[in-house]
Amino acid sequence: MINFEEELKKFHPSFEVEDAEEAIYNQDLTDAVDLLVKLVQESEEIESME
Amino acid sequence: MFCYNCGCQLSEHDFCTACGADVALYKKIMFASNRFYNEGLEKAGVRDLTGALGSLRQSLKFNKYNIEARNLLGLVYFEMGEVVTALSQWVISKNLRPEKNIADDYIDMIQANASRLESINQTIKKYNQAYAYCKQDSKDLAVIQLKKVLSLNPKFIQAHQLLALLYMESEQWDRAKRELKKCLDIDRNNTLALRYMKEVEFLTAPDESVKAPGAVKRRREESLRYQSDNEIIIQPLDIKERKGSGISTLVNMGIGLVIGLAAMYFLVVPSRVATVRSKMNQDIVALGEQLDAKTVDIQGLEAQVAGLQEERDDLNKELEGYVGTGGTLSTMDNLLTAASVYLETQDPKQTAEDLEGIAETVVIEETSEAFQTLYHTLFGVIGPPLSQAYYTEGMQAYNSRNYEEAIEALSKAALYDESNVEAWYNLGNAYRGAEDTQNAVATYNKLIELFPDTDRARRAQRAIDDMAGAVR
Repeated sequence: MINFEEELKKFHPSFEVEDAEEAIYNQDLTDAVDLLVKLVQESEEIESME
Repeated sequence: MFCYNCGCQLSEHDFCTACGADVALYKKIMFASNRFYNEGLEKAGVRDLTGALGSLRQSLKFNKYNIEARNLLGLVYFEMGEVVTALSQWVISKNLRPEKNIADDYIDMIQANASRLESINQTIKKYNQAYAYCKQDSKDLAVIQLKKVLSLNPKFIQAHQLLALLYMESEQWDRAKRELKKCLDIDRNNTLALRYMKEVEFLTAPDESVKAPGAVKRRREESLRYQSDNEIIIQPLDIKERKGSGISTLVNMGIGLVIGLAAMYFLVVPSRVATVRSKMNQDIVALGEQLDAKTVDIQGLEAQVAGLQEERDDLNKELEGYVGTGGTLSTMDNLLTAASVYLETQDPKQTAEDLEGIAETVVIEETSEAFQTLYHTLFGVIGPPLSQAYYTEGMQAYNSRNYEEAIEALSKAALYDESNVEAWYNLGNAYRGAEDTQNAVATYNKLIELFPDTDRARRAQRAIDDMAGAVR
Protein backbone atom coordinates (compact mmCIF):
# COMPACT_ATOMS: atom_id res chain seq x y z
CA MET A 1 0.00 0.00 0.00
CA ILE A 2 1.39 3.34 -1.04
CA ASN A 3 1.90 5.95 1.69
CA PHE A 4 1.17 9.37 0.26
CA GLU A 5 3.43 11.27 2.62
CA GLU A 6 6.35 8.96 1.97
CA GLU A 7 5.81 9.08 -1.76
CA LEU A 8 5.60 12.86 -1.72
CA LYS A 9 9.14 12.99 -0.32
CA LYS A 10 10.37 11.43 -3.57
CA PHE A 11 9.19 14.47 -5.51
CA HIS A 12 11.09 17.69 -5.56
CA PRO A 13 10.51 21.18 -6.98
CA SER A 14 11.55 21.61 -10.58
CA PHE A 15 14.25 24.11 -11.57
CA GLU A 16 12.85 27.43 -12.75
CA VAL A 17 14.52 29.46 -15.50
CA GLU A 18 15.90 31.86 -12.90
CA ASP A 19 17.63 28.91 -11.23
CA ALA A 20 19.35 27.74 -14.43
CA GLU A 21 22.60 29.56 -13.70
CA GLU A 22 22.79 28.08 -10.22
CA ALA A 23 22.02 24.62 -11.61
CA ILE A 24 24.88 24.91 -14.11
CA TYR A 25 27.40 26.11 -11.52
CA ASN A 26 26.39 23.39 -9.08
CA GLN A 27 26.98 20.60 -11.59
CA ASP A 28 29.70 18.25 -10.43
CA LEU A 29 31.70 17.81 -13.61
CA THR A 30 34.39 15.60 -12.14
CA ASP A 31 34.73 12.48 -14.28
CA ALA A 32 36.81 9.30 -14.17
CA VAL A 33 39.51 10.84 -16.37
CA ASP A 34 39.98 13.64 -13.82
CA LEU A 35 40.45 11.05 -11.11
CA LEU A 36 42.88 9.12 -13.29
CA VAL A 37 44.97 12.20 -14.00
CA LYS A 38 44.98 13.07 -10.33
CA LEU A 39 46.09 9.56 -9.38
CA VAL A 40 48.86 9.63 -11.97
CA GLN A 41 50.05 13.02 -10.77
CA GLU A 42 50.09 11.86 -7.14
CA SER A 43 51.97 8.67 -7.98
CA GLU A 44 54.50 10.72 -9.96
CA GLU A 45 54.95 13.08 -7.02
CA ILE A 46 55.50 10.13 -4.65
CA GLU A 47 58.05 8.64 -7.06
CA SER A 48 59.91 11.93 -7.35
CA MET A 49 59.98 12.31 -3.56
CA GLU A 50 61.45 8.84 -3.19
CA MET B 1 41.12 9.73 -29.10
CA PHE B 2 43.71 12.09 -27.66
CA CYS B 3 46.26 11.68 -24.85
CA TYR B 4 45.08 13.10 -21.55
CA ASN B 5 48.67 14.18 -20.81
CA CYS B 6 49.90 15.83 -24.01
CA GLY B 7 46.81 15.93 -26.25
CA CYS B 8 48.40 13.94 -29.09
CA GLN B 9 46.46 11.44 -31.23
CA LEU B 10 46.67 8.01 -29.62
CA SER B 11 47.56 4.85 -31.53
CA GLU B 12 46.60 1.22 -30.89
CA HIS B 13 49.34 0.99 -28.24
CA ASP B 14 48.67 1.27 -24.53
CA PHE B 15 51.02 4.24 -24.24
CA CYS B 16 51.24 7.61 -25.86
CA THR B 17 53.68 7.61 -28.70
CA ALA B 18 54.42 11.27 -28.09
CA CYS B 19 54.87 11.57 -24.31
CA GLY B 20 55.01 7.92 -23.26
CA ALA B 21 52.18 8.18 -20.76
CA ASP B 22 50.30 4.99 -19.88
CA VAL B 23 46.90 5.31 -21.54
CA ALA B 24 45.58 1.77 -21.11
CA LEU B 25 43.23 2.69 -18.29
CA TYR B 26 42.34 5.95 -19.99
CA LYS B 27 41.34 4.08 -23.14
CA LYS B 28 39.17 1.72 -21.08
CA ILE B 29 37.47 4.70 -19.48
CA MET B 30 36.81 6.23 -22.89
CA PHE B 31 35.41 2.94 -24.19
CA ALA B 32 33.18 2.62 -21.13
CA SER B 33 31.86 6.12 -21.65
CA ASN B 34 31.10 5.39 -25.29
CA ARG B 35 29.44 2.09 -24.40
CA PHE B 36 27.12 3.78 -21.92
CA TYR B 37 26.35 6.47 -24.51
CA ASN B 38 25.39 3.78 -27.05
CA GLU B 39 23.24 2.10 -24.45
CA GLY B 40 21.58 5.38 -23.62
CA LEU B 41 20.95 6.07 -27.28
CA GLU B 42 19.31 2.67 -27.74
CA LYS B 43 17.09 3.14 -24.69
CA ALA B 44 16.08 6.62 -25.79
CA GLY B 45 15.20 5.16 -29.18
CA VAL B 46 12.62 2.84 -27.60
CA ARG B 47 11.34 5.54 -25.24
CA ASP B 48 12.96 4.07 -22.16
CA LEU B 49 13.81 7.56 -21.01
CA THR B 50 14.58 6.61 -17.40
CA GLY B 51 16.99 3.95 -18.59
CA ALA B 52 18.57 6.34 -21.11
CA LEU B 53 18.95 8.91 -18.36
CA GLY B 54 20.90 6.43 -16.19
CA SER B 55 23.16 5.29 -19.05
CA LEU B 56 23.94 8.81 -20.24
CA ARG B 57 24.74 9.98 -16.74
CA GLN B 58 27.10 7.04 -16.39
CA SER B 59 28.67 7.89 -19.70
CA LEU B 60 29.34 11.44 -18.52
CA LYS B 61 30.75 10.19 -15.23
CA PHE B 62 33.41 8.44 -17.26
CA ASN B 63 34.00 11.23 -19.72
CA LYS B 64 32.54 14.66 -19.17
CA TYR B 65 33.74 15.68 -22.65
CA ASN B 66 31.42 13.17 -24.29
CA ILE B 67 29.45 15.95 -25.99
CA GLU B 68 27.04 13.65 -27.83
CA ALA B 69 26.11 11.96 -24.52
CA ARG B 70 25.57 15.32 -22.86
CA ASN B 71 23.46 16.68 -25.73
CA LEU B 72 21.36 13.51 -25.73
CA LEU B 73 20.96 13.77 -21.96
CA GLY B 74 19.61 17.30 -22.49
CA LEU B 75 17.18 16.01 -25.11
CA VAL B 76 15.95 13.26 -22.77
CA TYR B 77 15.40 15.81 -19.99
CA PHE B 78 13.55 18.06 -22.46
CA GLU B 79 11.33 15.16 -23.49
CA MET B 80 10.50 14.51 -19.85
CA GLY B 81 9.44 18.14 -19.42
CA GLU B 82 12.52 19.16 -17.39
CA VAL B 83 13.32 22.10 -19.67
CA VAL B 84 15.66 24.00 -17.37
CA THR B 85 17.74 20.90 -16.61
CA ALA B 86 17.94 20.20 -20.35
CA LEU B 87 19.03 23.78 -20.97
CA SER B 88 21.73 23.44 -18.29
CA GLN B 89 23.18 20.37 -20.00
CA TRP B 90 23.24 22.10 -23.38
CA VAL B 91 24.90 25.21 -21.93
CA ILE B 92 27.63 23.05 -20.33
CA SER B 93 28.02 21.20 -23.62
CA LYS B 94 28.37 24.49 -25.47
CA ASN B 95 31.03 25.63 -23.01
CA LEU B 96 33.00 22.43 -23.36
CA ARG B 97 32.83 22.53 -27.16
CA PRO B 98 32.03 26.02 -28.45
CA GLU B 99 32.31 25.12 -32.15
CA LYS B 100 30.27 22.68 -34.26
CA ASN B 101 27.94 21.78 -31.44
CA ILE B 102 24.27 20.96 -32.03
CA ALA B 103 23.52 22.24 -28.51
CA ASP B 104 23.72 25.69 -30.11
CA ASP B 105 20.59 24.94 -32.12
CA TYR B 106 18.76 23.58 -29.08
CA ILE B 107 19.58 26.66 -26.99
CA ASP B 108 18.59 28.98 -29.84
CA MET B 109 15.34 27.07 -30.30
CA ILE B 110 14.34 27.81 -26.72
CA GLN B 111 15.78 31.30 -26.34
CA ALA B 112 14.61 32.61 -29.73
CA ASN B 113 10.97 32.47 -28.66
CA ALA B 114 10.68 34.60 -25.53
CA SER B 115 6.98 33.92 -25.08
CA ARG B 116 7.57 30.18 -25.24
CA LEU B 117 10.35 30.45 -22.66
CA GLU B 118 8.03 32.47 -20.44
CA SER B 119 5.30 29.87 -20.91
CA ILE B 120 7.73 27.11 -19.92
CA ASN B 121 8.77 29.05 -16.84
CA GLN B 122 5.14 29.61 -15.86
CA THR B 123 4.51 25.89 -16.20
CA ILE B 124 7.41 25.10 -13.88
CA LYS B 125 6.25 27.72 -11.37
CA LYS B 126 2.76 26.23 -11.39
CA TYR B 127 4.18 22.75 -10.84
CA ASN B 128 6.22 24.01 -7.89
CA GLN B 129 3.10 25.70 -6.54
CA ALA B 130 1.19 22.44 -6.86
CA TYR B 131 3.99 20.66 -5.03
CA ALA B 132 3.75 23.26 -2.26
CA TYR B 133 -0.04 22.72 -2.09
CA CYS B 134 0.58 19.00 -1.65
CA LYS B 135 2.90 19.68 1.24
CA GLN B 136 0.26 21.97 2.78
CA ASP B 137 -2.32 19.21 2.35
CA SER B 138 -4.34 21.33 -0.12
CA LYS B 139 -4.81 18.43 -2.48
CA ASP B 140 -7.75 19.85 -4.44
CA LEU B 141 -5.81 22.98 -5.28
CA ALA B 142 -2.81 20.86 -6.21
CA VAL B 143 -4.94 18.80 -8.61
CA ILE B 144 -6.30 21.95 -10.28
CA GLN B 145 -2.82 23.41 -10.59
CA LEU B 146 -1.38 20.18 -12.01
CA LYS B 147 -4.14 19.99 -14.60
CA LYS B 148 -3.16 23.48 -15.75
CA VAL B 149 0.50 22.45 -15.86
CA LEU B 150 -0.26 19.42 -18.00
CA SER B 151 -2.48 21.41 -20.35
CA LEU B 152 0.54 23.66 -21.00
CA ASN B 153 3.19 20.94 -21.01
CA PRO B 154 1.68 17.47 -21.53
CA LYS B 155 5.12 15.81 -21.40
CA PHE B 156 5.92 16.85 -17.85
CA ILE B 157 6.55 13.41 -16.33
CA GLN B 158 6.82 14.60 -12.73
CA ALA B 159 3.49 16.41 -13.00
CA HIS B 160 1.80 13.24 -14.33
CA GLN B 161 3.29 11.22 -11.50
CA LEU B 162 2.26 13.70 -8.82
CA LEU B 163 -1.25 14.00 -10.25
CA ALA B 164 -1.54 10.21 -10.34
CA LEU B 165 -0.42 10.05 -6.72
CA LEU B 166 -3.07 12.62 -5.76
CA TYR B 167 -5.77 10.66 -7.59
CA MET B 168 -4.64 7.50 -5.85
CA GLU B 169 -4.80 9.27 -2.51
CA SER B 170 -8.39 10.28 -3.25
CA GLU B 171 -9.11 6.75 -4.59
CA GLN B 172 -9.91 7.96 -8.10
CA TRP B 173 -8.30 4.89 -9.57
CA ASP B 174 -9.40 5.35 -13.17
CA ARG B 175 -8.01 8.84 -13.33
CA ALA B 176 -4.80 7.77 -11.65
CA LYS B 177 -4.49 4.96 -14.16
CA ARG B 178 -5.05 7.34 -17.04
CA GLU B 179 -2.31 9.68 -15.82
CA LEU B 180 0.08 6.80 -15.31
CA LYS B 181 -0.67 5.55 -18.78
CA LYS B 182 0.15 8.97 -20.24
CA CYS B 183 3.32 8.98 -18.21
CA LEU B 184 4.30 5.54 -19.51
CA ASP B 185 3.51 6.59 -23.07
CA ILE B 186 6.28 9.17 -22.73
CA ASP B 187 8.66 7.06 -20.65
CA ARG B 188 7.94 3.35 -20.96
CA ASN B 189 10.15 2.19 -18.14
CA ASN B 190 9.48 4.93 -15.65
CA THR B 191 10.02 3.04 -12.43
CA LEU B 192 7.79 5.19 -10.26
CA ALA B 193 4.93 5.14 -12.77
CA LEU B 194 5.23 1.37 -13.13
CA ARG B 195 5.11 0.91 -9.40
CA TYR B 196 2.06 3.15 -9.07
CA MET B 197 0.38 1.34 -11.95
CA LYS B 198 0.96 -1.99 -10.28
CA GLU B 199 -0.53 -0.63 -7.06
CA VAL B 200 -3.55 0.77 -8.88
CA GLU B 201 -4.18 -2.46 -10.74
CA PHE B 202 -3.88 -4.42 -7.55
CA LEU B 203 -6.34 -2.18 -5.74
CA THR B 204 -8.87 -1.96 -8.56
CA ALA B 205 -9.12 -5.65 -9.33
CA PRO B 206 -8.70 -7.57 -6.04
CA ASP B 207 -12.02 -9.46 -6.37
CA GLU B 208 -11.71 -10.36 -10.01
CA SER B 209 -8.41 -12.05 -9.32
CA VAL B 210 -9.97 -14.42 -6.80
CA LYS B 211 -13.12 -15.08 -8.73
CA ALA B 212 -13.43 -17.89 -11.21
CA PRO B 213 -12.38 -16.87 -14.73
CA GLY B 214 -15.83 -17.83 -16.04
CA ALA B 215 -17.58 -15.50 -13.63
CA VAL B 216 -15.35 -12.63 -14.57
CA LYS B 217 -15.95 -13.32 -18.22
CA ARG B 218 -19.72 -13.47 -17.69
CA ARG B 219 -19.64 -10.23 -15.76
CA ARG B 220 -17.71 -8.55 -18.54
CA GLU B 221 -20.18 -9.88 -21.08
CA GLU B 222 -23.06 -8.34 -19.14
CA SER B 223 -21.85 -4.89 -19.91
CA LEU B 224 -20.42 -3.02 -22.82
CA ARG B 225 -17.40 -0.83 -22.07
CA TYR B 226 -16.08 1.87 -24.32
CA GLN B 227 -14.13 5.08 -23.91
CA SER B 228 -15.52 8.47 -24.94
CA ASP B 229 -12.89 11.21 -24.69
CA ASN B 230 -11.61 10.91 -21.15
CA GLU B 231 -14.57 9.00 -19.71
CA ILE B 232 -15.09 5.22 -19.69
CA ILE B 233 -18.72 4.43 -20.48
CA ILE B 234 -20.15 1.17 -19.09
CA GLN B 235 -23.45 0.24 -20.67
CA PRO B 236 -25.40 -2.74 -19.28
CA LEU B 237 -26.52 -5.15 -21.98
CA ASP B 238 -29.49 -6.78 -20.29
CA ILE B 239 -31.70 -3.72 -20.14
CA LYS B 240 -34.43 -3.86 -22.73
CA GLU B 241 -36.50 -1.00 -23.95
CA ARG B 242 -40.09 -1.09 -22.78
CA LYS B 243 -42.92 -1.59 -25.19
CA GLY B 244 -45.10 1.28 -26.21
CA SER B 245 -42.11 3.53 -26.09
CA GLY B 246 -43.48 5.48 -29.08
CA ILE B 247 -46.35 6.98 -27.06
CA SER B 248 -44.15 7.60 -24.06
CA THR B 249 -41.65 9.29 -26.33
CA LEU B 250 -44.37 11.61 -27.59
CA VAL B 251 -45.56 12.26 -24.04
CA ASN B 252 -41.99 12.95 -22.96
CA MET B 253 -41.53 15.29 -25.89
CA GLY B 254 -44.73 17.09 -24.91
CA ILE B 255 -43.59 17.40 -21.30
CA GLY B 256 -40.22 18.61 -22.51
CA LEU B 257 -41.93 21.18 -24.72
CA VAL B 258 -44.09 22.40 -21.82
CA ILE B 259 -41.06 22.62 -19.54
CA GLY B 260 -39.20 24.48 -22.26
CA LEU B 261 -42.05 26.95 -22.70
CA ALA B 262 -42.37 27.37 -18.95
CA ALA B 263 -38.66 27.98 -18.65
CA MET B 264 -38.90 30.51 -21.42
CA TYR B 265 -41.85 32.21 -19.74
CA PHE B 266 -40.23 32.31 -16.31
CA LEU B 267 -36.63 32.93 -17.33
CA VAL B 268 -36.42 34.47 -20.77
CA VAL B 269 -39.52 36.67 -20.78
CA PRO B 270 -38.79 38.43 -17.45
CA SER B 271 -35.26 38.99 -18.60
CA ARG B 272 -36.50 40.46 -21.88
CA VAL B 273 -39.08 42.61 -20.06
CA ALA B 274 -36.40 43.82 -17.69
CA THR B 275 -34.20 44.68 -20.65
CA VAL B 276 -37.01 46.62 -22.36
CA ARG B 277 -37.84 48.41 -19.11
CA SER B 278 -34.24 49.28 -18.58
CA LYS B 279 -34.07 50.66 -22.12
CA MET B 280 -37.26 52.66 -21.56
CA ASN B 281 -35.94 54.02 -18.28
CA GLN B 282 -32.78 55.06 -20.03
CA ASP B 283 -34.85 56.78 -22.73
CA ILE B 284 -36.96 58.54 -20.09
CA VAL B 285 -33.86 59.69 -18.28
CA ALA B 286 -32.43 60.97 -21.56
CA LEU B 287 -35.68 62.79 -22.39
CA GLY B 288 -35.80 64.22 -18.87
CA GLU B 289 -32.30 65.55 -19.32
CA GLN B 290 -33.27 67.09 -22.66
CA LEU B 291 -36.37 68.61 -21.04
CA ASP B 292 -34.29 70.08 -18.21
CA ALA B 293 -31.90 71.56 -20.74
CA LYS B 294 -34.81 73.10 -22.71
CA THR B 295 -36.35 74.46 -19.49
CA VAL B 296 -33.07 76.11 -18.60
CA ASP B 297 -32.94 77.60 -22.11
CA ILE B 298 -36.51 78.88 -21.80
CA GLN B 299 -35.78 80.42 -18.40
CA GLY B 300 -32.76 82.11 -19.86
CA LEU B 301 -34.77 83.45 -22.79
CA GLU B 302 -37.56 84.63 -20.46
CA ALA B 303 -35.03 86.50 -18.35
CA GLN B 304 -33.64 87.99 -21.54
CA VAL B 305 -37.15 89.07 -22.64
CA ALA B 306 -37.85 90.61 -19.22
CA GLY B 307 -34.56 92.49 -19.40
CA LEU B 308 -35.35 93.72 -22.89
CA GLN B 309 -38.85 94.80 -21.82
CA GLU B 310 -37.37 96.72 -18.89
CA GLU B 311 -34.86 98.32 -21.21
CA ARG B 312 -37.66 99.20 -23.62
CA ASP B 313 -39.69 100.81 -20.79
CA ASP B 314 -36.66 102.80 -19.71
CA LEU B 315 -36.12 103.95 -23.26
CA ASN B 316 -39.81 104.84 -23.58
CA LYS B 317 -39.61 106.86 -20.38
CA GLU B 318 -36.48 108.55 -21.66
CA LEU B 319 -38.23 109.26 -24.96
CA GLU B 320 -41.24 110.53 -23.08
CA GLY B 321 -38.88 112.82 -21.17
CA TYR B 322 -37.78 114.23 -24.51
CA VAL B 323 -41.04 114.38 -26.46
CA GLY B 324 -43.85 114.33 -23.80
CA THR B 325 -45.86 117.21 -22.44
CA GLY B 326 -43.25 118.12 -19.85
CA GLY B 327 -40.45 116.72 -21.97
CA THR B 328 -37.23 118.41 -22.81
CA LEU B 329 -38.12 118.93 -26.46
CA SER B 330 -41.57 120.30 -25.51
CA THR B 331 -40.10 122.61 -22.86
CA MET B 332 -37.43 123.76 -25.26
CA ASP B 333 -40.13 124.39 -27.83
CA ASN B 334 -42.18 126.41 -25.28
CA LEU B 335 -39.13 128.48 -24.35
CA LEU B 336 -38.35 129.20 -27.99
CA THR B 337 -42.03 130.11 -28.58
CA ALA B 338 -41.96 132.49 -25.58
CA ALA B 339 -38.78 134.15 -26.90
CA SER B 340 -40.29 134.43 -30.40
CA VAL B 341 -43.50 135.96 -29.02
CA TYR B 342 -41.54 138.51 -26.98
CA LEU B 343 -39.44 139.50 -29.98
CA GLU B 344 -42.60 139.99 -32.08
CA THR B 345 -44.94 141.67 -29.57
CA GLN B 346 -42.56 143.11 -26.91
CA ASP B 347 -45.31 142.13 -24.43
CA PRO B 348 -43.53 141.35 -21.16
CA LYS B 349 -46.67 140.10 -19.42
CA GLN B 350 -47.40 137.48 -22.06
CA THR B 351 -43.76 136.41 -22.03
CA ALA B 352 -43.80 136.26 -18.24
CA GLU B 353 -46.85 134.01 -18.33
CA ASP B 354 -45.10 131.75 -20.85
CA LEU B 355 -41.98 131.60 -18.68
CA GLU B 356 -44.05 130.86 -15.57
CA GLY B 357 -45.78 128.07 -17.48
CA ILE B 358 -42.36 126.63 -18.35
CA ALA B 359 -41.16 126.92 -14.73
CA GLU B 360 -44.22 124.96 -13.59
CA THR B 361 -43.49 121.99 -15.93
CA VAL B 362 -39.72 121.61 -15.37
CA VAL B 363 -37.16 122.34 -12.70
CA ILE B 364 -35.05 125.01 -14.36
CA GLU B 365 -31.88 123.97 -12.49
CA GLU B 366 -32.11 120.43 -13.97
CA THR B 367 -32.32 121.62 -17.59
CA SER B 368 -29.37 122.04 -19.93
CA GLU B 369 -26.93 124.96 -19.58
CA ALA B 370 -28.07 126.51 -22.88
CA PHE B 371 -31.71 126.25 -21.79
CA GLN B 372 -30.96 127.91 -18.45
CA THR B 373 -28.97 130.69 -20.18
CA LEU B 374 -31.79 131.44 -22.61
CA TYR B 375 -34.39 131.26 -19.85
CA HIS B 376 -32.50 133.65 -17.53
CA THR B 377 -31.60 136.01 -20.41
CA LEU B 378 -35.23 136.23 -21.46
CA PHE B 379 -36.26 136.67 -17.88
CA GLY B 380 -33.63 139.42 -17.44
CA VAL B 381 -34.87 141.20 -20.56
CA ILE B 382 -38.55 141.21 -19.60
CA GLY B 383 -37.89 141.64 -15.84
CA PRO B 384 -37.44 145.45 -15.49
CA PRO B 385 -40.32 146.57 -17.75
CA LEU B 386 -42.57 143.96 -16.24
CA SER B 387 -41.52 144.97 -12.74
CA GLN B 388 -42.24 148.59 -13.63
CA ALA B 389 -45.69 147.65 -14.99
CA TYR B 390 -46.56 145.71 -11.83
CA TYR B 391 -45.15 148.55 -9.72
CA THR B 392 -47.45 151.08 -11.41
CA GLU B 393 -50.42 148.75 -10.95
CA GLY B 394 -49.46 148.16 -7.31
CA MET B 395 -49.03 151.85 -6.52
CA GLN B 396 -52.46 152.64 -7.97
CA ALA B 397 -53.99 150.03 -5.69
CA TYR B 398 -51.89 151.29 -2.73
CA ASN B 399 -52.98 154.87 -3.28
CA SER B 400 -56.60 153.78 -3.34
CA ARG B 401 -55.82 151.87 -0.09
CA ASN B 402 -56.53 148.53 -1.72
CA TYR B 403 -53.64 146.87 0.07
CA GLU B 404 -54.33 143.28 -1.00
CA GLU B 405 -54.09 144.07 -4.71
CA ALA B 406 -51.18 146.33 -3.99
CA ILE B 407 -49.34 143.49 -2.14
CA GLU B 408 -49.96 141.08 -5.07
CA ALA B 409 -48.77 143.54 -7.74
CA LEU B 410 -45.83 144.90 -5.75
CA SER B 411 -44.72 141.34 -4.90
CA LYS B 412 -44.53 140.58 -8.63
CA ALA B 413 -42.71 143.86 -9.23
CA ALA B 414 -40.07 142.90 -6.61
CA LEU B 415 -39.91 139.37 -7.96
CA TYR B 416 -39.33 140.37 -11.58
CA ASP B 417 -36.71 142.99 -10.71
CA GLU B 418 -34.97 142.60 -7.37
CA SER B 419 -33.20 145.90 -7.91
CA ASN B 420 -36.49 147.77 -7.87
CA VAL B 421 -35.98 149.34 -4.42
CA GLU B 422 -39.20 151.32 -4.60
CA ALA B 423 -41.17 148.12 -5.19
CA TRP B 424 -39.63 146.57 -2.04
CA TYR B 425 -40.22 149.70 0.08
CA ASN B 426 -43.86 150.15 -0.99
CA LEU B 427 -44.49 146.41 -0.62
CA GLY B 428 -43.40 146.79 3.00
CA ASN B 429 -45.67 149.83 3.32
CA ALA B 430 -48.58 147.85 1.79
CA TYR B 431 -48.07 145.04 4.35
CA ARG B 432 -47.92 147.69 7.04
CA GLY B 433 -51.12 149.26 5.69
CA ALA B 434 -52.77 145.83 5.68
CA GLU B 435 -51.54 145.47 9.28
CA ASP B 436 -49.48 142.44 8.37
CA THR B 437 -46.62 143.41 10.62
CA GLN B 438 -44.69 140.17 10.27
CA ASN B 439 -44.46 140.32 6.45
CA ALA B 440 -43.94 144.08 6.61
CA VAL B 441 -40.87 143.61 8.89
CA ALA B 442 -39.59 140.73 6.71
CA THR B 443 -39.92 142.90 3.58
CA TYR B 444 -38.21 145.88 5.21
CA ASN B 445 -35.37 143.62 6.43
CA LYS B 446 -34.98 142.18 2.89
CA LEU B 447 -34.75 145.79 1.59
CA ILE B 448 -32.12 146.68 4.23
CA GLU B 449 -30.18 143.52 3.25
CA LEU B 450 -30.35 144.26 -0.50
CA PHE B 451 -29.80 148.03 -0.36
CA PRO B 452 -27.85 148.85 2.82
CA ASP B 453 -26.81 152.43 3.62
CA THR B 454 -29.49 153.95 1.35
CA ASP B 455 -32.19 156.43 2.17
CA ARG B 456 -34.83 153.73 1.65
CA ALA B 457 -32.99 151.41 4.02
CA ARG B 458 -32.92 154.01 6.75
CA ARG B 459 -36.65 154.69 6.18
CA ALA B 460 -37.39 151.01 6.33
CA GLN B 461 -35.45 150.76 9.61
CA ARG B 462 -37.42 153.65 11.01
CA ALA B 463 -40.67 152.01 9.93
CA ILE B 464 -39.58 148.81 11.73
CA ASP B 465 -38.72 150.82 14.80
CA ASP B 466 -42.06 152.63 14.68
CA MET B 467 -43.93 149.34 14.45
CA ALA B 468 -41.91 147.98 17.33
CA GLY B 469 -42.67 151.08 19.41
CA ALA B 470 -46.36 150.85 18.57
CA VAL B 471 -46.40 147.25 19.69
CA ARG B 472 -44.73 148.14 23.01
